[in-house]
Amino acid sequence: MGNPLHHFEVHNVIPIHIGGLDLSISNAVIAMWVGLALIGSMFVLPAKRGLSLIPSRLQNVLEIALEFIRGMVYEFIGEEEGKKYVPFIASLFLFVLACNLIGMIPGSYTITCQIVVTGVFALGIFIMTLVIGFSKHGLHFLGILVPPGIPKVLIPLMIPIEIISMVARPVSLSVRLFANMTAGHTILAVLFGLAMSSVMIGWLPFGFTIAINGLEIAIAFIQAYIFTILTCVYIGDVINLH
Amino acid sequence: MEFYLSALSFVILLFFLKKFAFPSILSALDEREKKIRGDIEESEKLKQGIEEIKVDLEKKLKAAHEKAETIVQLAQDEAKKLQEKTVQETEAKVKQVQRESEQEIESSKNKLLQEIRNYTAALTIASAENFLKKTMDDTDKKRLVDDSIEQVIQELEKRQRN
Repeated sequence: MGNPLHHFEVHNVIPIHIGGLDLSISNAVIAMWVGLALIGSMFVLPAKRGLSLIPSRLQNVLEIALEFIRGMVYEFIGEEEGKKYVPFIASLFLFVLACNLIGMIPGSYTITCQIVVTGVFALGIFIMTLVIGFSKHGLHFLGILVPPGIPKVLIPLMIPIEIISMVARPVSLSVRLFANMTAGHTILAVLFGLAMSSVMIGWLPFGFTIAINGLEIAIAFIQAYIFTILTCVYIGDVINLH
Repeated sequence: MEFYLSALSFVILLFFLKKFAFPSILSALDEREKKIRGDIEESEKLKQGIEEIKVDLEKKLKAAHEKAETIVQLAQDEAKKLQEKTVQETEAKVKQVQRESEQEIESSKNKLLQEIRNYTAALTIASAENFLKKTMDDTDKKRLVDDSIEQVIQELEKRQRN
């Protein structure tokens, strides 16, 4: 049985080294490009061609997806403030979803199985929330470290706890997506290994892989949803201050 | 080998999805499309109906305006006629009253003049009588009576001849 984690290894497809920097085109980069191309072909091209009043099947899917995302943003950020964040949240959700789903295709690469990718996303979102908070409230934004209604005696205790809670947000956000996607693919790899190990009872783990594949598709959607909804919650928190 | 198993597993999953999941998803999408199409067509029909009603109402409103203008014109004409008739009647009545008043005034004037004449005559006769009583003796009185008788006889003869 081979190493079940070899799916997550990054291979250079087109090696490019400029001035000591490794700018090679790897399988991860290609998977990301495919994700972008998928989003582009699904959203940008129909929008460029012109949307019809009576939607086609594809336009229906796009409308439902965007209505769903818009509803989510309005719920957690508020309709007034949420309007300007809808494009960002929609792009984030669709990109994470596309990357998750591309990983389901045999022989492809799951970009969200890389902690560095999810980490950069989560860190970027964390920094963005801080920028939004300070630009909107100035130094009053630090009031987010003191939950409303707590006794004054507890403030010295609560501030470190809130700081830890704030810092834990990008960590949990990135690890949640990375761990879920990695776990699913690892289980699949293990089951395929088991299926190959015995011809007589190999059909049993193979049968499981079909179910796990189905589950993975659901997880791809759920994790993209959770990642996005938590982003909305964090942005909503810094805008509305609790 | 693992790649082929993975591909096979994925194809089987796709087959199951195509068999059990996609039809309901696609039918839901078609249903949504049908609903939107139906809603739009219905709203178009309603819009068309509203346009027709609007045109119809505008026509009716225009006709009502015209009718109202005709009625107002007729009423104005009628009022003018009535006014003229009333003026004429009033003028005639005033003239009648004026005539009657003039006649009454004339009659009263004549009556009054007659009374004045009678009174003046009575006064003159009484004055003349008193004067004659004082100034005339019996001979003059007799002669005056005779002259008067003579004058009356002459007057009667004159009338008979005529």
